[in-house]
Parts: sequence; C-alpha cells; structure tokens
Amino acid sequence: MNSFRLTLSLATASLWYRRRVLALVCLTLTLSVTLLLGIQYLRTEVRQSFTSTISGTDLIVGARSGQLNLLLYTVFHIGDATNNIRWSSFNDIKDDPRVDWAVPISLGDSYQGYRVVSTNDQFLEQFQYGDDQKLALARGQWFSQLFDVTLGADVARQLQHELGDQIVLSHGGGRTSFSNHTDLPFRVSGILETTGTPVDQAVYISLEAMEAMHVGWESGVAIPGRTLSAQTAEARSFTPDAITAMLLGLKNPIMTFQLQRELSQYAAEPLSAILPGVALSELWRMMGQFEQALLGISVFVVATSLIGLVAVLLTIQAQRQREVAILRAVGASPRLVAGLYSLECVLLALASCGLSLLLGASAISALSPWLLQHYGIHIGARSLNADEWLLLGLVPVVAFAISLIPAWHHWRKSRKQSFGSSAQD
Amino acid sequence: MNIETAPHSSRSHAIETHQLGFRWPKQTIPLQFPDIRLNRGEHLFLRGPSGTGKSTLLSLLAGMMLPESGSVNLLGTQLRHLKGGARDQFRADHMGVIFQQFNLVPYLSALANVTLPCRLSTRRHQQTQNTPDAAATALLSKLSIPEVLWHKPVTEMSIGQQQRVAAARALIGSPEIILADEPTSALDAENRDRFIELLLTLAHEHHSSVVFVSHDRSLAHHFHHQLSLGDES
Repeated sequence: MNSFRLTLSLATASLWYRRRVLALVCLTLTLSVTLLLGIQYLRTEVRQSFTSTISGTDLIVGARSGQLNLLLYTVFHIGDATNNIRWSSFNDIKDDPRVDWAVPISLGDSYQGYRVVSTNDQFLEQFQYGDDQKLALARGQWFSQLFDVTLGADVARQLQHELGDQIVLSHGGGRTSFSNHTDLPFRVSGILETTGTPVDQAVYISLEAMEAMHVGWESGVAIPGRTLSAQTAEARSFTPDAITAMLLGLKNPIMTFQLQRELSQYAAEPLSAILPGVALSELWRMMGQFEQALLGISVFVVATSLIGLVAVLLTIQAQRQREVAILRAVGASPRLVAGLYSLECVLLALASCGLSLLLGASAISALSPWLLQHYGIHIGARSLNADEWLLLGLVPVVAFAISLIPAWHHWRKSRKQSFGSSAQD
Repeated sequence: MNIETAPHSSRSHAIETHQLGFRWPKQTIPLQFPDIRLNRGEHLFLRGPSGTGKSTLLSLLAGMMLPESGSVNLLGTQLRHLKGGARDQFRADHMGVIFQQFNLVPYLSALANVTLPCRLSTRRHQQTQNTPDAAATALLSKLSIPEVLWHKPVTEMSIGQQQRVAAARALIGSPEIILADEPTSALDAENRDRFIELLLTLAHEHHSSVVFVSHDRSLAHHFHHQLSLGDES
C-alpha cells in the first residue's frame, strides 16, 4: 500500500513534469473518448426519442401494405399510402365494441414541404408520445372553423408563423408545388407545444377542410369553375369519402391481437393493422446497423489514440534511463518502476475520461438550444446510464492493459540495471 | 527468518568480499576483483583507471548484479542468499548511493529527492526519528544548499549543488554503507575537496562506511583504506 502511494506520487509528479508533451496525447485521447461517449449518448437519446414517437395507440390501420410502410407514412410522414380506407369502414371499426377510440388521418397535401394531416379533435385528445404524454397547445386553439389550421411546433418556428397568419396549402407533397390551393387560404388558429417527434413537423386541418379544398380537384388539378370559394364552402357540410389511416385505442389491450387478425381479414376491403411498438422496433433494428457501425468506428478511434499514447510513452522511455537508474539504485524494485509506467498510463486515461465528460457536458448544454431551434432535435443533458459508464470505465482498463507493454519492457530492462547512469557499462 | 531486517551484529564487517569474479555476456576472460574487508564506520578509496570494472564492482556490492564466482557479505548478510526483491529492499535499507552525475529524479524537488530513500525503506524512515523532512533539511543546510532551492525543481541547480543533494540523499536515515561512484569528477578542485570533507564528516556523524571510487590518486589521503583495481599484476 505504501509502495502504491509512492508510485502514485511519483507518477503524478512525473506526468506533471512531462505535461507539455503529454498534453497533446491527452488531448487526442480526450477527443476520441468524447467521440465514443458522444456517439453512445446520442444512440441512447435517438433510440429513446425514436421509440417514444408514438405511445398509447394499440393499432394503426391502413390499406393493405407492409407494416413498415404503414408506420412510416402515418407516424413519420415518410412515403405515401398505397390506398385509402373507406369512410364507412372507419365508422364500422370505430363502432366495434372493443374499440375505445379511433382517430382518422388523411394525408396527401403539404405546406412548404411539411405534411398536412387532416384529422379531427380526437387527435389532440388521444394521440400520445413519450411516456404517455398528451399533445398540448403552446398558443391558440385546436382548429374549430373549417379553414383553421393548427401548426406543429417546428413548422411555426421555422416559418415564423404567429396566430392569425394566413397560409396557403399545396396539393401533393414536396417543398415546391406547382398547384396551390390559393383560393382557399387557411388561418393559423393554434400552435402545438414541442414534442420532439414528427408531430412537430406537420400542420393539422379538419377532414372537412380537406374535402372542401378538393372539390373540383377530382382529376388531380383544379378545374376552373368547379372549385369552391370560401363562402360557399363554409355554407356546405362535408363528409369525407375516404381517409388514409386510423389510430385505434382499445378498451382492453388484450384484445389487440384478436382485433388485428380480424382487421387483416376485413371483408369489405383489404386492410392492414399493425402494432406500433412492434413496427418501431423492427424499424430500429434496420437503422440500428448504422449506429452499430458508427460505434464500432469510434471504438477504433479510441484504440488508435491509446496506441498513440503507448507509442509516446515508449519514446519517452528512452529519456528515462537515468531516472530509472536512480530509482533502482536507491532501492526501488523493478516492479515499482514498471508500476510507475502503468500508473502513468492509467492516470492519463482517467484524466482524459474526466476531461471528455466535461467536454461532452458543455457541448450538450451549448448545442442543445441550437439543435432544438434549427433542427427540432431535443438532446437534453442527463446523467450517464450504466452502458455509458461501462464504456467510459473500459477506457482506463484498456489503457492499463496496453500499458503493460512498456511496463513489461521496463521491468525486464530494470532487472538488468547495473549501478550507474547507464544501463550498460 | 528475516535476514535483511534482522539486527546485525556490530562485529560483522560492513563489507566483506571473497574472490569476486564477474563476466559480461560477451566477455571471455572474467573480471577478477581483490578481496575487500571493510570495518563499519571506516572509509575505503577504490582507485582504478577506467575499464577496470569499477562500476561492475559497485553493481556487485550494491546487489544489483550477482557475481559469477565468489561472495559478497554485507553487514553479516550473504547477498546471494537474498532474492531480487529482497536485495532491492536491502539496498534501500542499508545503502546510500551517489553517482558521477545525473543523480536526481528530475521531476522531484531537492527535498523530495533527499527523502526518497525514507519512502522506500521503513528502516531509513525510522532512523530519521520518523521526521524525514526535518532530517533532510538539516542535511541540506549542513551541505550548504540555499533554502530557496529546497522546494525548487532540481534542474535549476548547479552540478556542485546537485552532487551535494545526492550526498544528502545517500546520508539520510544513516545507512551503514554509502557507495559513491566518482561523485567529484564533474567538480573543480576546490569544490572536490570540500565535497569529500563534508561527505566524510557527515558519514562519520551517521556511522556510515563510505566506498569511494575514483581514478584520482590525489584524493586517497582522505580515506582509511585504499585499494587499486586492475594494476596489481
């Protein structure tokens, strides 16, 4: 124990003495450990926010297609539906005694590249994300008038919309659309709170408004004279013929599989029903490959800088002949000399780990508002989880393991140390 | 049981060697050394031109290498009976060393360099009445190292000062044997005599035997005994 304290104090003094050379090595190691830790941290965060995109919904029902496709276009607003669901089917399913609630969703239009989701007030009431959190309005109201629109948080932030702004939706997807619903502008009635999910990246209108907009658009473009004006539209009442998908909540989740099977064999039209959790984890498995590779690369980066550390220590070793001669002559054992080496390596690794924690924490706190503002990505500072501590803890352990190379070298050499300044007389 | 820490009878010699021989890996004829018998508290001057194996002999006396033939008996302990680690501990407990130059650990202060043996050896620590720092400062003042340098890095010192710090390190904790390998070769004539006088006076105070190696015949008169290497035949 006493000899450990001696070794420790010698190692710290020695590191401090060589601080100029070692600072660079330490910096390299710090950066690479920060990279490793950062990637692991983001992995966890992304996975967390990914799997919490939707919760509380037991089934998503759409036209017959693969479960990933259905999940992507309903929840992530990526890709398009293969077909629609008849409004009668929606009502039929909604009235099933096992169904607690049903939210209709109709897609197809866009606003400045953001999806237009037409739905009803059930969406606000039933949609949940994260740990069963409900949607809430940051400002204004959920749409109530025919030509009201509620904006997702990102849309409002990016396009700097305020309540009462008039906006024009485009027909079809894409950022630049050539056919706009110019004659039927919408008024911003409300803006949703940030959720960190694709909900922020869409605008919400009523199913009736969607119908009203598309009167006279049956052929895909507006036929002059057949479209409605705002006044005539408001005088009429609309019932949709079809919707794109629906979200279902069941009274008893045990019924989920039974209902899923029934919906897949629905007689009136071909439907698919998926369990959002299952589809999400399948999607994550696909994307997981990529982040695994990223983590692998960062492990190699850390390994490289650890090897660099050993290379520098071995180079310094040549300059330490005299010091070793002195230590040996005053009675230090070869073990102490070797221990000095290992300890220096471990101390450097520990310093790098500490520094990278600081660096990571300050990077997150500095970048987090910026990321949220510009990309709508919410990365909060949190304490590390067990996996991350393990990864961080592995760095000094590996440093110790590879420090055994110069330490062993030293141990062998200092056993042969003779009296005097040089190893050989 | 504990050979290296057992109290040694004061009748045993500080150093007693018998027909020492050593061969470096590529040497054909082994180096042979004259027998040494040195009483405790007495000083020995070992003279020999370079190449006569002075440093080899010191390595054997320090227990850093084992002889090919013959024996080294220090303070009544046969070195060959000790294992590597025990020999290192024996050296820490009973020996002080001074090199030609580069005596000091560069990243430690003068004071920390002096107290280093007390941290490696409980015995040396106890011999300073468990106050190594006080013992070290006493030695440094006696060796006239200015107090401002005590806590400074040793690299800021002159060679003469460095050698005196090394002497203080060798003396601290009153080891029975001090091995000095041409410690004055880098000093001028005036400093050299002053250094030897100081070293021997303090060694006397600490009851230490000094083995002093040098090629400089003119220093021999300071010592009780002298022995020549290499030119006997």
